[in-house]
This record gives sequence, C-alpha cells and structure tokens, in this order.
Amino acid sequence: MIAVEDIHVTFGRGTPLEKHALRGVDLSIPEGQFVTVIGSNGAGKSTFLGSLAGDVLAEQGRISIDGADVTRWDTPRRAGLVARVFQDPMAGSCAALTIEENMALAAARGRRRGLGLALGSDRRKGFRDRIAALGLGLENRLHDRMGLLSGGQRQAVSLLMATLAGSKILLLDEHTAALDPATADFVLDLTRRIVRDNRLTTLMVTHSMRQALDYGDRTLMLHEGRVVLDVAGEERAGLDVPHLLALFAKQRGGAEISDDSLLIG
Amino acid sequence: MSEIALFGAIEIGLVYALVAIGVYLSFRILDFPDLTVDGSFPLGAAVCAVLLIAGVNPWLASLAAALAGAAAGLVTATLNVRFKILHLLASILTMIALFSVNLRVMGRPNVALLMQDTVLTPFYGLGVPDHIVRPLVVGAIVAAVVLLLARFLSSEFGLAMRATGVNARMARAQGVDTDAHVYAGIALSNALTGLAGALFAQTNGFADVTTGIGTIVVGLAAVIVGETVLPARALALALVGCVVGSILYRLAVQLALSADSIGLQASDLNLVTAVLVAVALILPRLKAKASRSTARNPGAAR
Repeated sequence: MIAVEDIHVTFGRGTPLEKHALRGVDLSIPEGQFVTVIGSNGAGKSTFLGSLAGDVLAEQGRISIDGADVTRWDTPRRAGLVARVFQDPMAGSCAALTIEENMALAAARGRRRGLGLALGSDRRKGFRDRIAALGLGLENRLHDRMGLLSGGQRQAVSLLMATLAGSKILLLDEHTAALDPATADFVLDLTRRIVRDNRLTTLMVTHSMRQALDYGDRTLMLHEGRVVLDVAGEERAGLDVPHLLALFAKQRGGAEISDDSLLIG
Repeated sequence: MSEIALFGAIEIGLVYALVAIGVYLSFRILDFPDLTVDGSFPLGAAVCAVLLIAGVNPWLASLAAALAGAAAGLVTATLNVRFKILHLLASILTMIALFSVNLRVMGRPNVALLMQDTVLTPFYGLGVPDHIVRPLVVGAIVAAVVLLLARFLSSEFGLAMRATGVNARMARAQGVDTDAHVYAGIALSNALTGLAGALFAQTNGFADVTTGIGTIVVGLAAVIVGETVLPARALALALVGCVVGSILYRLAVQLALSADSIGLQASDLNLVTAVLVAVALILPRLKAKASRSTARNPGAAR
C-alpha cells in the first residue's frame, strides 16, 4: 500500500530554470493494484515515479509505503521495498556484468551485502530455473555479459530481476518505449504475467493511451504536476481512447492537445 | 641482460604488481581515476621504514603501511563523495598533501634500512641466492593478494562494488550504497599501493619521498600491458593480467635500458614509461579507426 500526501517537488529552485514539477499530488494506492500513468511531456510522470523510488526527495508532503514513512529515505534504502524497470534498457542493468551477476545484484536488494559468494551453486540453479520460465532460451547464457542481449531481452531480464528480492512494489517508467512494437507487446505481456504471479502493486508510466486503458485496473492522468484524472472500475471499463482525449482536453480547460505523442493509440 | 638484472626486473615488477592491481581497482572497476597512489606508495615506504627502525615486527610494519595507504585513499574518497570535488582533482590534492606528510613521517627526505630485519630476512641464507629469494617472497605475497582479491570481488559486497563502477544509477536502484563502495574501493586500492611501498622499502633498503613520482603511470602501464597480452573477461584472470603486465613492463624497460645501441640511460625511465603508456592508449583508437575505414571501403586495406 502506497500513501502519497500532498507532495511538492521543485527543480532548480531560485534559478531562471526553476520548475515546479509536482504541485501537490495526493494519492492512495491499495496493495496489488496495477496503475497506469499518462500525461504529456513535462507533466511530472517521471518525477512522480522518481519521488516514489527516492531519486527525487519531496520538499513538502509525505510518502509512506506499507505503513513506513519513507519521505526522507534515499534510493538504496527504499530499494528493499521498491523495484524498478527503466525506459532505457541500458539503464536497468550492468552491461559489463554477466546475466547471473546482474540477477545476484538484484536478489540482494534490501539486504546487507556481506563477503559470502554472490553466486553459489544453489543460487545459480535458482536463477537458471527462473530465467528458463521467461521462455527466451536465456538459461544457457547465464555467463554471457548483459550487454550482448537485445533491448527486449534486457527488459525481460530486468522485469525478472525486479521479482527476485520479494519487493511488493514495481515502478515501470515507459519500459517499452525504446522497443519495436512486437517486442514491446511481448514485454507488456510478460509484465502482466509477472505482476499477476507476484501480486505486485504496480505503477506503469506510458505514452500510449491504448496501453494505459488495456493494462492494469486504474488510470491516472498527470498534468502540470497534478493528478487531473483518476479512473478505475466501471467508469474506466467504459472509456475509450477518444473519451480519454476528450477528458484530457476538458481538464486542460479546453485547450487543444498539441502533444502528438498523446494521440498515439 | 645479466641474470641479476633479470631477477631484479622481475622483483620490481612484482612489487609494482600490487600498484597495478590497486590501479585496476580504481580505474577499471570503480571508474575512478585516482592519482593518490603517487603519494600513498612513498607513504607506505616511509611508514614501514620508520617502524622497522623503531624495531617493529616487519609484517606488522607492512600492515601499518597498508593501513596508512587506506587512510590516504579515504581522504581522497571523502573529498570526492562527501564534498563533490572532481575525483581527479581530489586525488591530486591528497597526493600533494602526502608529499609533506611523508617528509614529516620520515623526518627527512630519505631513510636507509641497513641492518633492520625485513619480511625477507628469515628467507635469506637458506641456500637460495638473495636475488632469487626476493622475487620469490614478493611473488608469494602478490599471489596471496590476487587470490584474496579475486574472492572478495566475487562476494556480494565485491559484486556491488563492480556494479557501482559500471552503472551507479542501477546499483542504487538495486539498493547498493554506492558511496560506501567508493570509500571501500579507493581505500583498498591505496592499501595495496601502501603495501607495495612497504615491500619496495624492504627489498631496496631505503625509503625516499621522490619514489612516488609517476607511480600512477607505471601502474596504468602495467594494467594496459596486462590487458593487451591477457584480454580476459574473467576477473581472476584480469588480476593475473595486472601482475603479468607489471613484470613484462619492467622487463621491457630493463631491456631498453641495457641495450647500449639505443643509447638510453636510467634517468630516461619516466620518459620511456610516458611514451609507452601514450602509445598503448593511442593504439586501440588507431586500430578502431583502421577497421572502420576497412568496413567502409573493403578493398582499400589490401
């Protein structure tokens, strides 16, 4: 369960480039909910995810995860609670390390890292079984460097890595945006499977309205650092992309939608 | 090259192998160009020499030298991590400061070790000539360091340190306290360099504030030579590569200096080293350029 109370984030305070990226976000996400997040460029989607992960500390407001007040926790400290997959396939894993080393890194998330071997034979076998379940044939490539994998394979392994340490919250920051459409579909299906099997509370930022409505069970729209639309259940089931666009336009006070990326189905 | 000169080159190569491993840790694993070693090498030598003269056990004196090196590394890491000074500049500041510190430690620019027991003393007079005993003992210490370090780097802590150097953002998202790993890694790197300084003082019989000049370049040269002759992905092999590179580098230097026809003398060492490192750094770039133009124009290369 995630509770966000009136958080504000400002970048470059006191400079000509000052940007009030989050202007009082209030949100409560129950355990196991899959939330999709949309909004135009600069709406604050990534900042919002960053503020949950600890990359960005809120200057005002309060964030609690599973009842613990994490508002002032930094990223490594929150990592035991929150797993992430980034937009750039290169960002979420270490290209120079092997697949199994990347998995070992993720498996130790939220634990003290001691001088015990990172890759014992038991653990290797566990990793092999987990990665075989992806159905990509990667179980025979555990010693290969991560950098040798394709973008889709890396995102698939990153998703798997997110489940290794038992954290209950998954943050996806446009994790299919850098992939070709077929691969993106594969990764999205895998996402759905992993979220369901591990009963993860999930926030997925996407640029695609279609994805936002097709996946998950609640959709948020951010605009200028605020949540301007929050739909779930019946209301959401009845929504279509044109409806969403109309709602969006209304929220913006009837202004025309200039951001093409929002129109992509 | 005489037999004495050959074993002498191997011996000094093994001493500097510890520097090479330290440089590998900072430059390659942590991606942290650390020039502190120019100060922590003579610091190790100074601390060890002064303690030996005071009658301290040579192994304890060597350990103290390693700890002094680690402390120097922590200063650099603090300047960089805590106070956000550029890593290169932070390490130069520590290096400059250490010159004065080393003079204070010794009380004068150099200290001779004449009659003092060293870690080598128990092995002299066992029937093996002294000039062979020295590389054997130093080699055994280097082998122990390589084994321990290879084991350390495959531990969970060591893996997190490698991730810190490769992709700090990812490491933090995986719960790695990257700052702590930079502290630990730079301290370890300089501890090895301090230990190398201690072994240098004990094998050569003196400590001198000026021995630190160019330590970083020598270490880097060894790392690069090692990577060229032993291009290994496996970590343990990469560490062995540092050792092999350091010895090969010393042999090459010895060969160049002893070949009268080239007309080089001992004082040309730093120039030769700098040229060697520069060439080693430029070559891969030229190679890449050549293969690019070959790819564009397949016929031209033939």
